[in-house]
Amino acid sequence: MSGTAAEQLDESIESGGSAGIAGRAQGAQAAEDAEAERGRRAALKAGALAVAGLLLPSLAGAQGARRKGPGSDVPRPFGTPATLNLDPIDPTAAWVSPELRLVRRITMGLTDAEGQRARQLGYEGYLDYHLAADQIDDGAVTQYVATTWSYTTQNGDALYNIEQGTLQTQLTNAAIYRSAFSTRQLKERLVEFWTDHFNIDIQKVGYLKVLDDRDVVRQYAMTTFPQLLRASAHSPAMLSYLDQTISRRGSPNQNYAREIMELHTLGVNGGYTQNDVAELSRVLTGWTIAGRGVFTFDPNLHDYGAKTVLGITIPATTQASVGAAAQNEGEGIINVLVAHVSTATFVSQKMLRYFLRYDPTDEQVAQVASVYLTTGGDIKSMLRAVLSRQNVMSAPAKFKRPYHYVVSAVRALAPTVANVSTLAGQISVAGQAPYTYDTPDGYPDSAEYWSGNILPRWNSASFLANANSASSVQFNVTPFMTPATPSAIVGAIDRACFGGEMPQRLRDELVAYVSVNPTSTTRVRETIGLALSSSTFQYF
Amino acid sequence: MSEHEHAACGCREYHELSRRNFIVGTAGATVFGAILPAWLPKVVLARSEVSSRDIIVNIFQRGGADGLSLVAPFADANYYTARPALAIPRPDSGDANRGTALDNTFQFPRPMLGLLPAYQAGELLCVHGAGLAYSSRSHFDAQRFIEVGKAADLTITTGWLGRHLATTEAMRPGATLRGLAMSSGLPTDLTGGPKTLPIPDPATYAIGGSATTRDARADWLATDFFLDQEPARSSALDATATLALLRSINFTGYAPSNGAVYPNNGFGRSLRSAAALIKADIGVEAIQIDIGGWDTHVQQDPLAGAMYNLMLTFGNAVGAFWADVLQGNGNYNVTLVAMSEFGRNVRQNGSAGTDHGRGGVMFVMGHQITGGRVLTNNWLPLARENQQDGQDVRVTIDHRDILAEVVRNRLGNANLDLIWPGYTATMRGVTR
Repeated sequence: MSGTAAEQLDESIESGGSAGIAGRAQGAQAAEDAEAERGRRAALKAGALAVAGLLLPSLAGAQGARRKGPGSDVPRPFGTPATLNLDPIDPTAAWVSPELRLVRRITMGLTDAEGQRARQLGYEGYLDYHLAADQIDDGAVTQYVATTWSYTTQNGDALYNIEQGTLQTQLTNAAIYRSAFSTRQLKERLVEFWTDHFNIDIQKVGYLKVLDDRDVVRQYAMTTFPQLLRASAHSPAMLSYLDQTISRRGSPNQNYAREIMELHTLGVNGGYTQNDVAELSRVLTGWTIAGRGVFTFDPNLHDYGAKTVLGITIPATTQASVGAAAQNEGEGIINVLVAHVSTATFVSQKMLRYFLRYDPTDEQVAQVASVYLTTGGDIKSMLRAVLSRQNVMSAPAKFKRPYHYVVSAVRALAPTVANVSTLAGQISVAGQAPYTYDTPDGYPDSAEYWSGNILPRWNSASFLANANSASSVQFNVTPFMTPATPSAIVGAIDRACFGGEMPQRLRDELVAYVSVNPTSTTRVRETIGLALSSSTFQYF
Repeated sequence: MSEHEHAACGCREYHELSRRNFIVGTAGATVFGAILPAWLPKVVLARSEVSSRDIIVNIFQRGGADGLSLVAPFADANYYTARPALAIPRPDSGDANRGTALDNTFQFPRPMLGLLPAYQAGELLCVHGAGLAYSSRSHFDAQRFIEVGKAADLTITTGWLGRHLATTEAMRPGATLRGLAMSSGLPTDLTGGPKTLPIPDPATYAIGGSATTRDARADWLATDFFLDQEPARSSALDATATLALLRSINFTGYAPSNGAVYPNNGFGRSLRSAAALIKADIGVEAIQIDIGGWDTHVQQDPLAGAMYNLMLTFGNAVGAFWADVLQGNGNYNVTLVAMSEFGRNVRQNGSAGTDHGRGGVMFVMGHQITGGRVLTNNWLPLARENQQDGQDVRVTIDHRDILAEVVRNRLGNANLDLIWPGYTATMRGVTR
């Protein structure tokens, strides 16, 4: 087992969590038994957690802590807030700079450098800069990824026999590294978005996902939606994941036929029926894989009977008369799907939700959808509509998902990362291990889904702030302590993590904490950990 | 134990599954409306229908535990024919490895004798031929279907135990923590439960970093999130409250009653912590503990090897829990249930192991459980013609029948139609 990706991830969690993950501090004892081992493995796949929380605006949590626990000591009460004003604090109230708001939306995390770039280029200029991703030099990261995780550059013949866990580790680490350090940050945000939209569980398809990530998602992330969808429809990983490869005349499998309409194009209420699903599954018979990860149309599997999909009738043919050209039946329906107004609406709504707000207005959706329809689904044009200054300035903050959260913390602190698996472990424990979401709808994009699993986020923040291992993750705290006064330290944290827009209340809290011993690197690291753990840093 | 577990688990799928283990897609939401499925339009928070509701300890034996070793049918010659290398010797044999009869048909193997006192006290019920009515030999499918409570329905993402908590009032109004799983992620069973957290080890649940400052940092965070927006605010305050709550319990100094001794391994420590939590009386009402390693494709060896050691851990830990918490009509109202996703083939395979089967064994334990017997439903000799698909113990008792009776009669929740949608449970007389 040793040396497998799972082991490495385990070890990364073990070592990475040594500072951060409660319950693992006693690693020696835990290692004694298999169940504990299993528990750590579970962490790799640990879902985000369901928690508690009825949305009662009550003091239940704090009161619960004060309540005497029968048969035990009185629990330690929490500090009471300085004010009894119970209006929640909106972090965006302090986020006044349009340029910095845009940085938060189109990058994996605000950094001092990106903030300066945005201010220098201006709102429109900064958006243009990142939309022209291929003109941004990202050679260093590209080279590092290709060298370090070389399987990400190889084809199916080279990959099919490689242990799946190894491939998963390489693909995951490459993604995290790019997200954290690539100069093409908007592209990385789009890659994350499309990875969920066209979700594929690598645990089902193995090496095929490596090909899909490179040749579909990354290749077409910033082109047009029709190009991207077509690439996905011809992706061996997708066809395998959604059982298209076992579908054939006489026993069609409806999985892909359903999801291409429900999840990829029209949306669940997009106007198709169960009969359309059944008919499309017949249309797509023959779409399968040949060899090691190569799409092929197999005429021997195709159903040549007459079909009707979305009101379009495909007349009966014969294999003798049509043969391999019967693939065009499916191509034709895909053309219909990408031109459908429901697709324009569905994709626009999802893009708005991802980049802007959980509840885009009908007007916003209609506006982006009209851009889709007039530009042939041009992704960059849609993004300009989504990310208009007016939209961004009026959007409430969104809750970072675990991947975004951990990566944004890494970007803020800019540590030296020698072992990306450590970061992968943090993300996994927080519930969002890349490429392992098992159902085709992709990781959810809602605060409700993710906010319950807060302790791993705090532990991740604590880990990063305390990280000081050259062979794993090393964060140099010295620049934050020059000079080592509370206001200077918190000012440095503000620049690194909040673009200089730290809310005053958070500033006061951090100053109070660090003032106990501002010359102690330990105390300063803890203060930084708290800043990353704070409510404000959970949002973007 | 890790050595034999690795040796025993030959199944590639199980390795995959144990990495995934918990279903990511079911990660829970904090909002009621979001966690409850569409078919649950109106939640009726059930008033307890029984005077005292039990706490439930739910044990999942992951990997497909071999029911024919756990509770072995010694009276059946077919069993010995099918398993020349794996059968537990008859109780009336002179073999040092002989089992101990539970009735005229079944026996405990030696490593399960830790459970004999509970059985003899009439508080431990064994259910044979239990399982998932839906035919699946996939670990992933079978576990998921049992945990969500309905087979082959991918629209349900919450678990039966989570929905139980979501559809009944808290036993302790305002409880900080109603449910927990002693694992790194929340298993699907518990997903959707309000005030429910994965807590790998309650004794060490804490914010990372320096132990010296963690209380101060928890205070800082509670203050910081106090005015955060929902739902993050409630989640953060629940987390900090739970941190404080668990810190208030002395787990390490916990002294079990009646001289009970828990095995010093993960499962044993988890059950010990469960007992400490129950006795601390903090309002926890559902505790899930998983024990893995049951996927015994190779060198199963229930007499001295892999399966023996697993059963020893299981039997001694659950037996210790009974002695600690239940023995002598103690004041603690607890029902413990244990099950696996499926049993294993009747016949041993070519590797002295067994492959994925169907019917298995469930255990139910508590003061109000009609224990001291092996419950079956038309149990037949294990001749091939009586086997499911010609190879397995038939599933003659749906696992939901057992759970539903426990939920209704011991946990005081009558919303069975919400917990197991589309299923009408047959009450099997599990509870008194």
